Amino acid sequence: MPLYGDLGNKLVQHAKRTQNLIHLPPYQAELVRAVAREVRDLDRDLKSILEPFQGSFDPTADQATACTLLVNHLSMRRNKRCLLAYHRTRADKLEELVWSGADVLDLAGQQTAGGANGVMGANDGGASSLSPQEEDYVRQYGDLLAAYKGQWTDIDLTGSLEPPRDLFIDVRVLKDAGEIQTEYGAINLTRNSQFYVRQGDVERLISQGYLQKLG
Amino acid sequence: MDIDDILREVDPVFHAVPQEKRDLQDLTRAWVAERCAPELLHWPADGLFERVNDNIKRQIEKVEEMTGDMDPKTNFALIVLQTELERFKYIVRSYLRARIAKIDRHTLHYLSTDELRSRLSEMELAYATRHQALLHNHYLSSFLSSFPPQMQNLNDAGGNSTMIDTPDLESAVFIRLLIDTVVEGRGVDADGEMNGKVDDIVILRWSDAKPLVDAGSAELV
Repeated sequence: MPLYGDLGNKLVQHAKRTQNLIHLPPYQAELVRAVAREVRDLDRDLKSILEPFQGSFDPTADQATACTLLVNHLSMRRNKRCLLAYHRTRADKLEELVWSGADVLDLAGQQTAGGANGVMGANDGGASSLSPQEEDYVRQYGDLLAAYKGQWTDIDLTGSLEPPRDLFIDVRVLKDAGEIQTEYGAINLTRNSQFYVRQGDVERLISQGYLQKLG
Repeated sequence: MDIDDILREVDPVFHAVPQEKRDLQDLTRAWVAERCAPELLHWPADGLFERVNDNIKRQIEKVEEMTGDMDPKTNFALIVLQTELERFKYIVRSYLRARIAKIDRHTLHYLSTDELRSRLSEMELAYATRHQALLHNHYLSSFLSSFPPQMQNLNDAGGNSTMIDTPDLESAVFIRLLIDTVVEGRGVDADGEMNGKVDDIVILRWSDAKPLVDAGSAELV
C-alpha cells in the first residue's frame, strides 16, 4: 500500500511536467479521486481518534495522540495543496489556449486521437484529455473573455503582442482560406500564393495558421 | 519668465502641450510602469482611457473616410495615420494584457482589501470576480466538494502560511529620477542612501521605489 502523500506527490509531478509541454496531457481522474479519497479517510481517522475525548482533548496530556492528529491534519492540507496546484496549472494552460484563440475542445480531442500521450493511459478512456469539469471551465472562461474583450472592440485584445513595425507585411498562404475583404478590395487566398497585405487585416488568419508571415 | 509662465501661474489649466500629446505621454508612461512593476498599479483615474479610446475611434473613422477617395496625395497621409493607429492600439492592448496577467496571477490578493480593489477598473473588477468564481467552481466540482466542509476554503491562513499568493514587492526595478531627490534603499547587509540628480537611473527594490514613483519624483524604465 502506498504511503499517505505519495499520490499527491505524483499529481504535482504531473503538473510540473505539464508546465513544459505544448499540449495538455490527459486529466488524471484516477489520481485525483484517490487523493481526495485519502483526505476523506484521514478526516475519518481524525474523527474516530477524537471521539472518545468528547471534545475535551488536552494535547499536553496525551502528546502521542496530539502528534498523530497533527500529522494527519498536515497530510490533509498537503493533499489539498497538491490538488489545487494540479488543477490550477491545467487551468492556466487552458486559459492560455483560450487567449490564443485555439478551439480548445476540438484540439483536446485530436491530441488523444493522435496517441500523443503514450504511457499516461490512466484516464477513463474518453476521447478528450480534458475532464468534463475542465471542458465546462473552458467554455465559461471563453464567455468571460469574450465579454471582457467586447468592451474594447477597437483594440482587439487577443491581437499580437509584438510591437507593430510595418503596416503592410508579406504573407504566404499555407491553407486555402477563401476570399477576404480588405479596404483595398477582395483578395483570394489560395494555397502557396503570396501577398503584400495590411497586417491588421490578416492577423486572425496568421494566428489560426492559414497564413505565414514572411521576412 | 515669458508669457507662458505667467499664464500658467494665473491659470493652472493652461498647458503649452496639447491634450492629445499629454495623453500619449501618460499612456506610454503608464504602459512602461505597468510592465516593469511587480505589482498591479492604479488604474488611471482621470479618464485617460476614455479619451484615448475616443481618439482611436475618431482616427478609425477618419481612415475609413480617407480610404473612400483614392487620391494618391491622401494615400501617404493615410499610411502614416494607420501606422500611428496600429501603434496606439498596440500600447493599449499590451497595457491591458499586462494588467490582466497580474490580476489573474494573484486574483484573491487583489480582491482581498478595498485598497487593492480600488486599483482595478470597473471592468477589471468584474472580470476578476467572475474569474475567481469560475475557478472556485471548477475546484469544487473537480474535487473540493468531496472534502470535509472545514477544508473547502481557498483562503485559509493557519500554520504560518497563507493560501493567498501575493506579488513579490521586493523584486528589483529600474527607475529614472525626474527631480533631484534623496534615494533610500534597503540592502541585505546595510541600507544605502544617495543624493540623486535628475535623469539618474537607479536600480533598487520596488518597495523602496514605490514612494518615489507615487510622488511623481521618478518613473519606471
